[in-house]
Amino acid sequence: MGLNIFLFVWFYFVYEHGEEFYYTRHLLGPALSWARAPAAVLNFNCMLILLPVCRNLLSLLRGSFVRCSRTMRKQLDKNLTFHKLVAYMIALMTAVHMVAHLLNVEWLNNSRQGVYDNLSTALSNLEEDTDDSDHRTTYLNPIRKNDIQIPTYFVFTSIAGLTGVIITLALILIITSSMEVIRRNYFEVFWYTHHLFIIFFAGLVIHGIGYIVRRQDEESYEEHDPLFCHNRTEDWGKIPECPIPQFEGGPAQTWRYVIGPMVIYLFERLLRFVRYMQNVQYRKIVMRPSKVLELQLVKKGFKMDVGQYVFLNCPSISQLEWHPFTMTSAPEEDFFSVHIRSAGDWTDRLIDIMEKMGVDGPFGTASEDVFDYEVSMLVGAGIGVTPFASILKSIWYKFKDNDPNLKTRKIYFYWLCRETHAFEWFADLLKAQEKEMEERGMGDFLTYKLFLTGWDQSHVNYVMVNMDRETDVVTGLKQKTHYGRPNWDKEFEQVRKENPTSVVGTFLCGPEALGKVLEKKCGKYSDVDPRKTKFYFNKENF
Amino acid sequence: MGKIEWAMWANEQALASGLILLTGGIVGVAGQFRGWEFAAYSVAAGVFVCLLEYPRSKRAKGTSVERTGQYCFTVCVKAFGPLTRNYYVRAFLHAAICVPGGFMLATVLGCVCLGIASLIYLAVSC
Repeated sequence: MGLNIFLFVWFYFVYEHGEEFYYTRHLLGPALSWARAPAAVLNFNCMLILLPVCRNLLSLLRGSFVRCSRTMRKQLDKNLTFHKLVAYMIALMTAVHMVAHLLNVEWLNNSRQGVYDNLSTALSNLEEDTDDSDHRTTYLNPIRKNDIQIPTYFVFTSIAGLTGVIITLALILIITSSMEVIRRNYFEVFWYTHHLFIIFFAGLVIHGIGYIVRRQDEESYEEHDPLFCHNRTEDWGKIPECPIPQFEGGPAQTWRYVIGPMVIYLFERLLRFVRYMQNVQYRKIVMRPSKVLELQLVKKGFKMDVGQYVFLNCPSISQLEWHPFTMTSAPEEDFFSVHIRSAGDWTDRLIDIMEKMGVDGPFGTASEDVFDYEVSMLVGAGIGVTPFASILKSIWYKFKDNDPNLKTRKIYFYWLCRETHAFEWFADLLKAQEKEMEERGMGDFLTYKLFLTGWDQSHVNYVMVNMDRETDVVTGLKQKTHYGRPNWDKEFEQVRKENPTSVVGTFLCGPEALGKVLEKKCGKYSDVDPRKTKFYFNKENF
Repeated sequence: MGKIEWAMWANEQALASGLILLTGGIVGVAGQFRGWEFAAYSVAAGVFVCLLEYPRSKRAKGTSVERTGQYCFTVCVKAFGPLTRNYYVRAFLHAAICVPGGFMLATVLGCVCLGIASLIYLAVSC
């Protein structure tokens, strides 16, 4: 943000006070600076906008930051937010730039027609010197005498004008299809329209090659001082102090800013394509209750960490769509699995058809940090439990191998769900874990609480009748199911009491509202004293 | 792709076009451009389009989210009955409104954007 402001102000003053623009300013007034300053900011932001969406690159960066602080990696998680902020800035600057140029074109046109004072007319009347081929020509006003003198004509016949209109149009279409309503409910509209950015960047690079914004060139400036000569227009060329001034156009600048990110993005897409072409085999396909599909896949050379996600593509549903899913298997297993819930067009059809798939990933998000905390609180709502499934399985393997890298001493796992069916597919894993823990005498390591948020009277009756059973009636696990939503104050109190000096990481995969609640609790229960308990909140986001 | 309600996008596009027409018109009038009469028209047209398109219609499938404070606008728009309810009519209305915008540089962009919105509405209703 600071950089944006700096660029704006800097370029504004370059054009407002630079002596070589004295005459240009006379024709155009302050609108010159108001057009060029946003142009500079636009160059900068268009450079930035491609970077946050290079997923593979970000994943690579994340990997190399393993030694660095956690906060660094959190910044990379906010890539989409950053992309949107840069987009807003581009939209705003485009608006300012356009309005300023509208004024410019109108005033240039008027100058050409001699509506303004003598100086403007004299400047506009300067003719093109066709002997010079290095753009060092005499004229200042880009609207030439021979042109049809309507602003619209000028805009549509100059490269800058035409490309400007086209790319602004592309930008508007991109923005309207990126509105939340369209994005969330009709993803394809958003995704395909967004590819207009290709036109945007192509036009952007060409936009400046017309050398339209002109300034007095150095040689001429030495011979002809505007401050002295500006009110002696009849004497130009006749007196030695004021030879006819020469002007040159400014070259295109944008390509210097955007060429780097464009190349990087190109590599990103190529990489995604290459991964797409690689073969993926089905190992097992299981249909779970509550319309949840478990897919176990094998891909050569595939390496993953806990809690990472992959993008899946199914050409028979849609050639171009890729959808993200967290992996539910552990890295120690020789396959990777995803659990997919029916949540829209694409997932519905996938659950119906099972064909050849392409896999892009794995990409990292916050869950990998779980093992860095001494104590971790994992909260998963409904299908949001998936990254944690991967983690729990990994713990199981790490324990079996007595992995020394495991910093975690204690894990609290909270699973919130509306209906009982959804528990079943996960029940196997939890049962096995429970058994392992007991056998190794590590019952304390993992504490899990299951919250059934959609219970009714029949549930209550059933539970009351079976109160004395050792295992829970819903899940068959030793730890009983809780009914209703968790009381977070109580939970945080308990964690704090049991771990009075630890750093606790809280991880959520679930709805925004819950995230806000947890974040508040983390702040409330954290102690300023570094020897006491501290809670840190991490949110998983797609 | 078949289940996409394109009208929702047409609505966003038309609302944006209204704003662009309005802005272009204001610049044209304030700068006293040649042809400022067209700019003045654009201001009025822009306001009209915004008022018409502000209420977001209910989706055929799924939950709909209203725009803030759209209730008053909804009442006004509904008062015209089939004239505003029918997308075919809207498509032609927008096409007609956008034409005068094409005569002046400041409003050309608004004209094109509204034209696109009109095309999408046409595609929906056929």
